[in-house]
Amino acid sequence: MASFRLLYRFVIRPMARERLRTVLTVFAVALGVGVVIAIELAGQAAAGSFHASMETLAGRADYEVTAAGGVPVEAVGRLATLAWPIRVRPRIEDYGMIAGDLRVVPVIGVDLVADGRLAAAGGEAPDAESLMAADAIWAGPDTGYHKGDTVRLILNDTERRFRVRGVLGSAAGGAFVLDLGSASRLLGRKSTVDRILIESPASESVLRAVLPPGCELARFGARTEENRRMLAAFRWNLRVLSYIALVVGAFLIYNTLSVSVVRRRPEIGIVRAMGATRRAVLGAVLSEAAMLGLAGGAAGLLLGRVMAEGAVRLVAATVDSLYVSSRPAPIEVTAAIVAWAMAIGIGAALVSALTPAWEAAQVPPTEAMARGRREYQARVRRWRNLGLGAACGLAAWLAARQAPVGGRPLFGYLAALLLIATGVLAIPALISSLASVSAGCLRRIGAEALLAGRSLAGSLRRTSVLVGALSTAVAMTVAVAIMVGSFRQTVLDWMDDRLKADLYLRPAAPASADRHPTIRAELADRVAKLEGVAAIDRFRAYEINYQGMPATLAGGDSRVASRFGRRSFLGVSNPVPIFRALEHPGTAVVSEPFANKHNVHPGDRLRLPMGARIVSLKVLGVFYDYANERGYIIVDRRTLLRYLPDPASSNIAVYLKPGVDLEAGRRQVEGALAGARVQVLSNRRLRQEAIRIFDRTFAITYALEAVAILVAVTGVASALVALVIDRRRELGLLRFLGGSRPQVARMIYYEAGLLGLLANGVGLLLGMALSMVLIFVINRQSFGWTIRFHWPVAVLLGVLTLIYMATVLAAVYPARIATRLRPIEVVHEE
Amino acid sequence: MGILRFERAGKQYSTDGQTVTALRDISLEVETGRFVAVAGRSGCGKSTLLNLAAAMDFPTAGRVILDGVPTWPLDDFALTRLRRGKIGFVFQSFQLLAALSAVENVELPLMLAGENDCRRRAVESLRRVDMDGYENRMPFQLSGGQMQRVAIARALVHRPRLLVADEPTGNLDSATGDHILALLRRLVDEHSVTILMATHSLEAAAAADTIVRMRDGQIEQIQEGR
Ligand SMILES: Nc1ncnc2c1ncn2[C@@H]1O[C@H](COP(=O)(O)OP(=O)(O)OP(=O)(O)O)[C@@H](O)[C@H]1O
Ligand SMILES: [Mg+2]
Repeated sequence: MASFRLLYRFVIRPMARERLRTVLTVFAVALGVGVVIAIELAGQAAAGSFHASMETLAGRADYEVTAAGGVPVEAVGRLATLAWPIRVRPRIEDYGMIAGDLRVVPVIGVDLVADGRLAAAGGEAPDAESLMAADAIWAGPDTGYHKGDTVRLILNDTERRFRVRGVLGSAAGGAFVLDLGSASRLLGRKSTVDRILIESPASESVLRAVLPPGCELARFGARTEENRRMLAAFRWNLRVLSYIALVVGAFLIYNTLSVSVVRRRPEIGIVRAMGATRRAVLGAVLSEAAMLGLAGGAAGLLLGRVMAEGAVRLVAATVDSLYVSSRPAPIEVTAAIVAWAMAIGIGAALVSALTPAWEAAQVPPTEAMARGRREYQARVRRWRNLGLGAACGLAAWLAARQAPVGGRPLFGYLAALLLIATGVLAIPALISSLASVSAGCLRRIGAEALLAGRSLAGSLRRTSVLVGALSTAVAMTVAVAIMVGSFRQTVLDWMDDRLKADLYLRPAAPASADRHPTIRAELADRVAKLEGVAAIDRFRAYEINYQGMPATLAGGDSRVASRFGRRSFLGVSNPVPIFRALEHPGTAVVSEPFANKHNVHPGDRLRLPMGARIVSLKVLGVFYDYANERGYIIVDRRTLLRYLPDPASSNIAVYLKPGVDLEAGRRQVEGALAGARVQVLSNRRLRQEAIRIFDRTFAITYALEAVAILVAVTGVASALVALVIDRRRELGLLRFLGGSRPQVARMIYYEAGLLGLLANGVGLLLGMALSMVLIFVINRQSFGWTIRFHWPVAVLLGVLTLIYMATVLAAVYPARIATRLRPIEVVHEE
Repeated sequence: MGILRFERAGKQYSTDGQTVTALRDISLEVETGRFVAVAGRSGCGKSTLLNLAAAMDFPTAGRVILDGVPTWPLDDFALTRLRRGKIGFVFQSFQLLAALSAVENVELPLMLAGENDCRRRAVESLRRVDMDGYENRMPFQLSGGQMQRVAIARALVHRPRLLVADEPTGNLDSATGDHILALLRRLVDEHSVTILMATHSLEAAAAADTIVRMRDGQIEQIQEGR
């Protein structure tokens, strides 16, 4: 009880007295925690979604069979003849787009007669008449359609009209279900299905024996796992970015506590003189931190839940365009998330409280007799810190040269952390040297500027922590801006290089990284024969599984590509010989992300399942590619057709004859398509769209940086309030010496401005170094992309200006406090 | 015509409903070139009187006229300008800015007033208080007496019409205090500075030309010393 009362008096009461500062600190921690939680929630929701959307009506199963280009139907028959108890459920799994509202929905084909599961799912059993009807479809309860409704779905390049024959149980979610036969016909499957689910006690080897060699048998759910694994690097990087705001928040707890310890030194000395132990003092400071952390964690949890709404949309869009078809699952705040929020809130607070707490415990009882805090100048060993910083810099350089660990750029992250440490440790020395160098210059500006500079240099420790926090946030923002800007420029250059055709055709049903709707072959033939068309390149993509990771197998017309198109290969200046060689069967080229992920080099051989067979392909080259992260294996169209004979194309590049006007060409092509749901995009439109997707993908990283900066600016505001309160005697004195109110306010603004200037300078330098690590180490190791360095000057200027303005604006309220002080009272205090 | 005149000035403080009368019916005239001491017990209103004299605060009754200008009803900016031009202030606890060197402390009022030639005038002012050679010392490198000298130099650097000193010897031992008093005396005699000094010690007050004795916010007696 007594200890609680002490806690109250020495910890809670001071916190309550400085309500504004406490609130600002808690807010900063809450923002940091909130971002981490939001990203965690959004990542979970986005990762849970592909599972949900394709497992519609899958029910219980032991195994699943898949194959590149589809599982031959005869596999179903062969499995059924096994002398084991077995249930075999072939499925067609695709997506369609609702014609009216452009919503993309799963479209699943199952054997409605054999599969009693539909009824079990809570819907009514389909009657014989509906099963026979060509336009029969069943709707999941989340689709919003009712029995008897008409629904127009765009499947591949064709719009079809269906009548909803029944609404299924909750297991069908937002999907539409067709009978297997009509699904196969309408979705253009030629005697293949997409997946076979098996319920059987038979062992894997028994089942494998009857399957064609190209088929892959896996435990049910393995595909979801693969997708999870593929997403891991993306989520991991996002997660790391999300912790930056928390780190910045920790800086601010450190600042708040060390200021309050310095300020309360006499008080601590008195308590010690009256018999408090070191441990008690240590405990008091740590419990103050824990309380800040607890409040920050709780508020952060709420904030995170709110921010997750926005984050999940951004994350899901990225997952959808780069990785796998998905619709975000609902956001779920689990007990684990709650615990995590509290743990990181309190953990960050306690870690940042260690030094101040230790310092408080070291206050001798004699401090009570000393002349008070004014005489106490927190010591900062700036030269020792500079030395440590140099060591960190060296270590960062070494860490950046290490290989990834288990596919993750762990050393890259370490290098980034060490770089930040380098910057932070160098700050005190930098400030004190800058202070002496700039003194003359500040003097010339005026007394306020000189005073501002001196007082910053005078409270070196506090200033260093603030500049450290702000410059870390600035550095990360600069680094990410440079990385994204470089990436963007690289992609733009790549598109310039790659996209040479005049028009691009694609089916209206939207594609994504793992979804390749098709255009019928006859349409392509018609376009190829048009008068104004010089050549077309038919591109067909399939989702495959290569060594346990999803990849894309595609076929293109090498002859057309070598005459009209372009593709840049790593280490090759003239790609034409590669395209020539690619015309031979048994050869392939792979994209850079694929090569990096699977450690494949030119000259290697790939063993690839295609249709029912396993094919060996020689790798001719590795090409630059930024279209998706799963990686491409590209073969000649004739090689592809040999194993996967479906002649439909996923998209078509059209090269017009010289002299043919673009609009005229487009009219010809559109005429040939005659009402099919195929989009005709000009080269320019395609690029615009690609860059729009790119920008959307990286919006989340900017949002994360913005929060980190907000945290840092909050910290500046709170620190300036403290600064004003601590120096109120001096501020009052200035008024006695003839300083006016605006002059006092200006001094506070100068301090904020100098802080901002320092932080921007340090942040810019540090950010440049960090961007190198991001571009050449972390990004390469986790995604396998070559990014060329590029300065996004305009973005950087904008960002830095914005941060600078925010820092100065943070001084508005503290400056107001400063001018409201009553000089007679504050000067005579103590 | 005096540099400073109190005309039936009074000051009341009101804190949470209670009013405290710190000064009542003060009439006083300080002539140019005089050294006036305000003496009295703790709490009798000396600091309040000095703050009114230094245009740091307004009287709640009567008028305070500084160099011919009534301080009421001036706005904050006009008061600041008045202080800048006419007042130098010395405190009991020196009040040097720890982050500034001695000479920088001294030139501060000039810089705040936006004047030029600050450094030369500051050095000169330090010389007047026998502190030449200490220009670049930081306050923590100075003794109490030295700090008070620097503070006096700072109060005089812009050649104010009136130097207001609130217990300038209060934090010093008596020998050092005597030196400071002698310095103030010399400033009056040789540089015709006008000084209004508060003190609770009669010995200190003895250095002045005029001693104003106060009790309970009122002037008890005005005693012409020399
Ligand atoms: N801001 C204030 N609010 C309320 N009362 C005040 C305030 N300032 C001074 N007083 C009161 O006015 C009276 C005079 O105070 P003042 O500081 O002028 O005394 P003093 O003579 O300077 O005393 P000391 O020698 O101790 O400095 C005191 O009773 C004091 O309590
Ligand atoms: Mg007093």
